[in-house]
Amino acid sequence: MRVGAYVGCGAVLLAGCASMPDEGDLRGVESTPRQDAQVRVYALPPREDAPPSEIVGGFLEALTSDDPDYETARLYLAGKALSDWQPNASTTVLGEAPRARVEPRGTSEADGDFLYRLTGQEIARVDAQHAYEPADEAYNETVHLTRVKDTKQWRIDRLPPGVVMGESDFQRTYVSVNKYYFTSFARAGRLGTVADPVYVRREVDPVTRMVRALLKGPTRWLNGAARTSFPPGTALKKGVRSLTPDDQNKLVVPLNGKADHVTRGRCNEMGAQLLFTLRDLMPTGVDEVELRRSDGSQLCVLDEGGADDVASHGAGERAGYEYFVDGEGRLVRMPADGDGEPKPVPGALGTGDTEFRSAAVGRDEDRAAGVSKDGSEMYVGSFASGDSLGDPVVHSEGATPGDRLTTPSWDGRGDLWVADRNPSDPRLLVLQDGAGEPLEARTPELDGRIKAVRVAADGVRIALIVERKGKVALFIGRIERDSDSQGEPSVSIVELRSATPRLEDVTAMSWAGDSRLVVVGRESGGVQQMRYVQVDGSMPDGPQPAPLTGVKEIAASEDERLPLVAHSEEDGIVRLSSGSQWQTVVSEGTAPVYPG
Amino acid sequence: MTGDSAASAPGQPGTRAGRPVGRNTAGSRWGHLLHGGLLRGGVHGSPVLRLFMRWVRRPLLPVMRLWRRNIQLRIVVTTLLMSLGVVLLLGFVVIGQVRNGLLDAKVKGSQSQATGGFTAAAQQADSAATAAGNDGPDPGGDSVRNVSEWMSSLVESLSSGGQGAFDVVALSSSGAGDARGFGPRASGGVDPSRSVPEDLRDRVDDGAGAAQSYTRIAYEAGTGKESQPALVIGKQVNDPYGNPYELYYLFPLSQEEKSLSLVKGTLATAGLFVVVLLGAIAWLVVRQVVTPVRMAAGIAERLSAGRLQERMKVTGEDDIARLGEAFNKMAQNLQLKIQQLEGLSRMQRRFVSDVSHELRTPLTTVRMAADVIHEARVDFDPVTARSAELLADQLDRFESLLADLLEISRFDAGAAALEAEPIDLREVVRRVVSGAEPLAERKGTQIRVVGDQQPVVAEADARRVERVLRNLVVNAVEHGEGKDVVVKLAAAGGAVAVAVRDYGVGLKPGEATRVFSRFWRADPARARTTGGTGLGLSIALEDARLHGGWLQAWGEPGGGSQFRLTLPRTADEPLRGSPIPLEPKDSRRNQGLNHAGLPVGGSSKLATVPVQTAGENVQVRAPIELRSTGATPTVDPTALPGDGARVVPRPSPSAGGPPDDEAQDEAGDVAGDTEERPSQGGAEQFEQGEAFRGR
Repeated sequence: MRVGAYVGCGAVLLAGCASMPDEGDLRGVESTPRQDAQVRVYALPPREDAPPSEIVGGFLEALTSDDPDYETARLYLAGKALSDWQPNASTTVLGEAPRARVEPRGTSEADGDFLYRLTGQEIARVDAQHAYEPADEAYNETVHLTRVKDTKQWRIDRLPPGVVMGESDFQRTYVSVNKYYFTSFARAGRLGTVADPVYVRREVDPVTRMVRALLKGPTRWLNGAARTSFPPGTALKKGVRSLTPDDQNKLVVPLNGKADHVTRGRCNEMGAQLLFTLRDLMPTGVDEVELRRSDGSQLCVLDEGGADDVASHGAGERAGYEYFVDGEGRLVRMPADGDGEPKPVPGALGTGDTEFRSAAVGRDEDRAAGVSKDGSEMYVGSFASGDSLGDPVVHSEGATPGDRLTTPSWDGRGDLWVADRNPSDPRLLVLQDGAGEPLEARTPELDGRIKAVRVAADGVRIALIVERKGKVALFIGRIERDSDSQGEPSVSIVELRSATPRLEDVTAMSWAGDSRLVVVGRESGGVQQMRYVQVDGSMPDGPQPAPLTGVKEIAASEDERLPLVAHSEEDGIVRLSSGSQWQTVVSEGTAPVYPG
Repeated sequence: MTGDSAASAPGQPGTRAGRPVGRNTAGSRWGHLLHGGLLRGGVHGSPVLRLFMRWVRRPLLPVMRLWRRNIQLRIVVTTLLMSLGVVLLLGFVVIGQVRNGLLDAKVKGSQSQATGGFTAAAQQADSAATAAGNDGPDPGGDSVRNVSEWMSSLVESLSSGGQGAFDVVALSSSGAGDARGFGPRASGGVDPSRSVPEDLRDRVDDGAGAAQSYTRIAYEAGTGKESQPALVIGKQVNDPYGNPYELYYLFPLSQEEKSLSLVKGTLATAGLFVVVLLGAIAWLVVRQVVTPVRMAAGIAERLSAGRLQERMKVTGEDDIARLGEAFNKMAQNLQLKIQQLEGLSRMQRRFVSDVSHELRTPLTTVRMAADVIHEARVDFDPVTARSAELLADQLDRFESLLADLLEISRFDAGAAALEAEPIDLREVVRRVVSGAEPLAERKGTQIRVVGDQQPVVAEADARRVERVLRNLVVNAVEHGEGKDVVVKLAAAGGAVAVAVRDYGVGLKPGEATRVFSRFWRADPARARTTGGTGLGLSIALEDARLHGGWLQAWGEPGGGSQFRLTLPRTADEPLRGSPIPLEPKDSRRNQGLNHAGLPVGGSSKLATVPVQTAGENVQVRAPIELRSTGATPTVDPTALPGDGARVVPRPSPSAGGPPDDEAQDEAGDVAGDTEERPSQGGAEQFEQGEAFRGR
């Protein structure tokens, strides 16, 4: 009897071992980082007795290689160029690789002179601060070669400053990383951060370069609105060549004497800036940073949790709901991270007493602003049930619904922004803390009509869709707050720059990350498409959203893990979770928004 | 040298025989050694080597011993080795087949993928060329042909198809004429110069189509990837300007290697289990067989040690059990026979003892009557008187014979008790000598005592020792033919010895052992008339044994004989040697050696004594010489092992060896050595002596 039981047990065990398991062993899956299929270019040193054309070609190719300090490229230089050439001064991005042609004037092979003209279409430029700036002009520079006296070899002795390369090489060699600085306001005791995207070379010690770039302070565009906690002049200690996280994923950053006497809190802020920046650079980030004084003693140590206590990073709190206006003009919401039927929000905006066409929900998700069906009035109501809607806070005099109020937007400090599209009186209005008398923001650089407005969570950058001379383009502006002589606050939008130089007809946009927007628009001669763009106008790495036609409005969260929500003409409210296709949520509905 | 000769001398009869020949041989050996040393120069090397070998072998010796003695270990180890060999062979074959199968599949898949890639690259070049052609041809060809960007994006697009499945490398063709080409491009952090083998590049450069090779992908230091084996397929493709370049697809074989290592691991595990299983099976089986064999061996050893009641345990009824039963039956029969024999001999001894006792009573009466007759013989006629005297004489003889028989039977019955106390042997000797003085005078013999300057004290039974010595001295005087008898005393190394030397007729070969036999007589012709009962030496031997001592005889025909009694200084102490060499220094052999060593040297390998004596004594003692020649080994080999020569050579190392005053212990040792090798034809004396010492 017992023997039979044992035999049975053994048989079951053996059967279990001999077949594939069909149940059990539940466990989490660690996401392995995608294998990097990065193509590397290996620069070659110049050949002996290479002709001038080969020197120019080899030099241009060496610029696209991953030499840390362009050592191979320097082998092509001679004389003054060798000492004067500053490869890090700027990077000029052309649409295609530069064409080099012999310039007959200035070329006399017998005298040892050779002049090449580099031409191409310049599409962007990365300056010494690593800031990307779109451009659209013809590139036209010359490269002069000379025959070096003692070696009789052709070498470049005059060349334009910086580095020049084609766009695909640029995409391959450079990567966009956000530096993080602090904004002037704080929310819930925590500092706000603002992202400052820069381009660094992907393969050439990006950690150290990012740290150096961070220490140098915000790029010129953000300089007035963002502040860094590093004391002026702070840099890496002399002699530090390369920073690498150690086995515990901890990065030690030795600083120079300027930072020796900072307070503990200040040091924590510095650490938070480093952690946020490195988290953006590497998928895993670093777990801990240790700052050191110039004498090597420890200034402070900050880990990830500590950094999140110092400042609200990125989107801050994760949005709890997606909102949109349903067919009956009510503001409804559904959980952002899962399925669930849309339900009207509590409070006056969800009752349907007043029909809305669009709305904006405060970033704390306790109040919302709604624009009435005809677009002429905007109300602000809290989500506390039972509250009445009250009087409209903004009124538009536009002739048609399309010429009245845009979808409003809340920034991270609680101000409510809305634009009046009235052609006769286009305005950009700010309601301090969502109430009171609307303040008109000055837009000195703007000549055109604002068609949509979205404020970034940091309250520093504002994205505007501006119609100008028949073209509808996306601009990013910096918000500057000030007080005039009477102590009245004033707000102005300055330093507007185009984020979508190649899109002609931008119809909708939304912030989709710290320095990323999702934009629906059309290239000249193209069809409508949806794509991500960087605030600096470059094209971000990574996958683009799945295409969708007839997009009227789009909403994305600055938390990149939340799905995209769009209003499509054909399908109503649709949603795109990462890794899947667009799915219809509700067929009747408009104006999807995330908080903000 | 010394160690050498010491090790080889006892084992080789030739060397031993060579010894007496003395310096000559030794000198030649020295010469030989010196000669060889000078000539070869390797004399120093070989001892070092030998030392080293010894040093290496020393820890291994127990293992080798175990190996030799343990059949179980041998079989298990052999089984393990053989199964290991089979498993290894099997593993190699299986792994080879799996490897080939994996590679075949991989190569096929890779080839089709790479071919598709080459086609795609050619198409891209075509389309790029078409696009460039639209821009118009290069005016004057002065522009720098920049395929760099196109090439980068081509490699990127090709490699993006196979995330991790393959990497793409583009190299400018080295056969592209004077045009410079471009820098290498590689995806996935591959180091192109180290990953693409040179001979493949040469082959691809020929433009003969696609070629493949195995290689090891080396990665850039920064990627942190380990190099891994890979299949690389390359082809020469044209760029948009029509210049050839080399495009390579590298397919890492890491997956195949993983599969292979899985198979390897599985095989290794299975092989390990199989080997262990076979080893265990062999161990079990051998154990089943070896255990009873070992038991039988143990029982047999105990049986041979005399514990006849030992039996094997028998369980079951298999072959082993049958072996045990047969063994037990054999043991039982042996025991029975031995018991029967023992009983028989006990009965015999009892009979002798009883007969002796029974004879005493009537003998006493006869004695009294004979005494009366003897007293009154003067009254008888001469013939009757003579008869009366004869009667009295023979009665005396009868009485002493009876007494000796009783004594012997007491020894046989184990009833003899030793009353040992420290005595000075010199006093015993003096008593004996003075007792034998009258007989000696009659024979005209002078008895000399040597070595009595110092006391020779031993724990012994004075009565028995005196009886032994008296027997020896009287024998010596009787057989001494009027020549001197020397009694020599000595003490050394826990033993005392008394040797009695005469220069009489001596002992013939073989007699030295037979003298101790009961009722043995040197000359049957003169039996019963002279001498004692024929039991004297037997009793003396028993007495010596009782003391734990030795009684040994040496003699040479015509050269006299010597009897040596060796006793331990303290009772119960085992003897290791004797202070006096058994063969005296003045033996004819020793003297003959000194005089005429050369002619004898070669001919007398083993039986040196007879030959030498023959050589010397031809003129002096012809009659004896005849006999001794008859006893040479060549004539009568069977006499050799047990003859006197066998006893004689024993002390020869001390007598004829290098220094004359070599420690006498050594002589004893050598004697002991000789004794420990009883040859098959050997004298019973030796066996007796050995058995005695063993007890």
